[in-house]
Amino acid sequence: MQTIVLPLNAADYILPAVLLAVAVVGLVCKVPLFDSFVKGAGRALKVVAGVFPYLAAVFVCVHLFAASGLQDKVAAFLSPVLSAVGIPAELVPLLLVKPLSGSGSLAVLEQIIVDYGADSDVARAASVLVGSSETVLYVAAVYFGTVSNKRLRYGLPVAFACTVAGALFSCWAVRFL
Amino acid sequence: MNVVFAVLFVSGVVLVAVSSPDALLGVLLDGTSGAVALAIRLAGVYALWLGVLQILQDSGADRLLARVYRPLLSRLFRGESERTQSLIGLNLTANLLGLGAAATPMGIAAVESMSHGEAAATDNMILFFILNVTAVQLLPTTVMALLASHGAANAASIVLPGLLSSLATAVFGLLTVNVVRIVGAKMPQRMRQKRCKR
Repeated sequence: MQTIVLPLNAADYILPAVLLAVAVVGLVCKVPLFDSFVKGAGRALKVVAGVFPYLAAVFVCVHLFAASGLQDKVAAFLSPVLSAVGIPAELVPLLLVKPLSGSGSLAVLEQIIVDYGADSDVARAASVLVGSSETVLYVAAVYFGTVSNKRLRYGLPVAFACTVAGALFSCWAVRFL
Repeated sequence: MNVVFAVLFVSGVVLVAVSSPDALLGVLLDGTSGAVALAIRLAGVYALWLGVLQILQDSGADRLLARVYRPLLSRLFRGESERTQSLIGLNLTANLLGLGAAATPMGIAAVESMSHGEAAATDNMILFFILNVTAVQLLPTTVMALLASHGAANAASIVLPGLLSSLATAVFGLLTVNVVRIVGAKMPQRMRQKRCKR
């Protein structure tokens, strides 16, 4: 049990340590902490306002994808292909949700853990997959929402390829470690 | 994004309309309302971390970090300024430490300073986007907590596979971006001009 508790606790101290370090460095360098913080925080609403329309579009797509049953159809279609390269069928729904929705993929992951047990290979591979990749559409919407560079060229295809590759690596890593 | 949106939107609307047309508006509004809720939460998150970022920049600590990362970053992101490199370094550090919320506003700032006002994403921007998608993280704390709460014997045992798998994915992404870049550079001049005009 010791091994579980220790790293979780250690991780809890990362945030306070980082914030404290920033404040101390600021004080040492004679930065007016209040003025600087206010100046930075003032940009937050502008950034969110710039990003919001892209979030709205992505969220509409994600909800449509799930509610229309398209997600299940694509999963059923992709399962045989993906299991041929070593990604078990149980992971396919997760693989589809992961690039679209962060909270959605956590919900799917929890369902997998409940269904197959927290110590099963499937649940472990699913956990590695969720822990080691990001929500592609969200990152794309947020990062490119506020800049003029709207055309992502080969960005999205490569990002989706990375999600699939990440799933493969997750399965391999869990199997061989 | 235009292709993804068009495909998902049209096929989604058609399928929902066929099965339960009265549910369509609810589904769409769930989507946009979800975006409003997220945006409000993000405003708070960004205010905190952009404030912290400003303190870091005013104290010059970000340039120190940039110096640590320079051997790596100046090779990966050719032609970007020291300021951009320091933002990229901060973003990667925040990701590594599992502070995803802090990584995003710093990432936005990094992308903005790589933009140069062009219409299409530059190769450097795409590489940065890919590195963020693969999100190398030392401790996937959320997932570990979820596993532990469902009685996993040793939730920490996913740390090493997770690290290796996300490193492998990041390397895969890096290689893929570079392959596409080189193939793109070797494309016939004529095709490239056509692409530029669009």
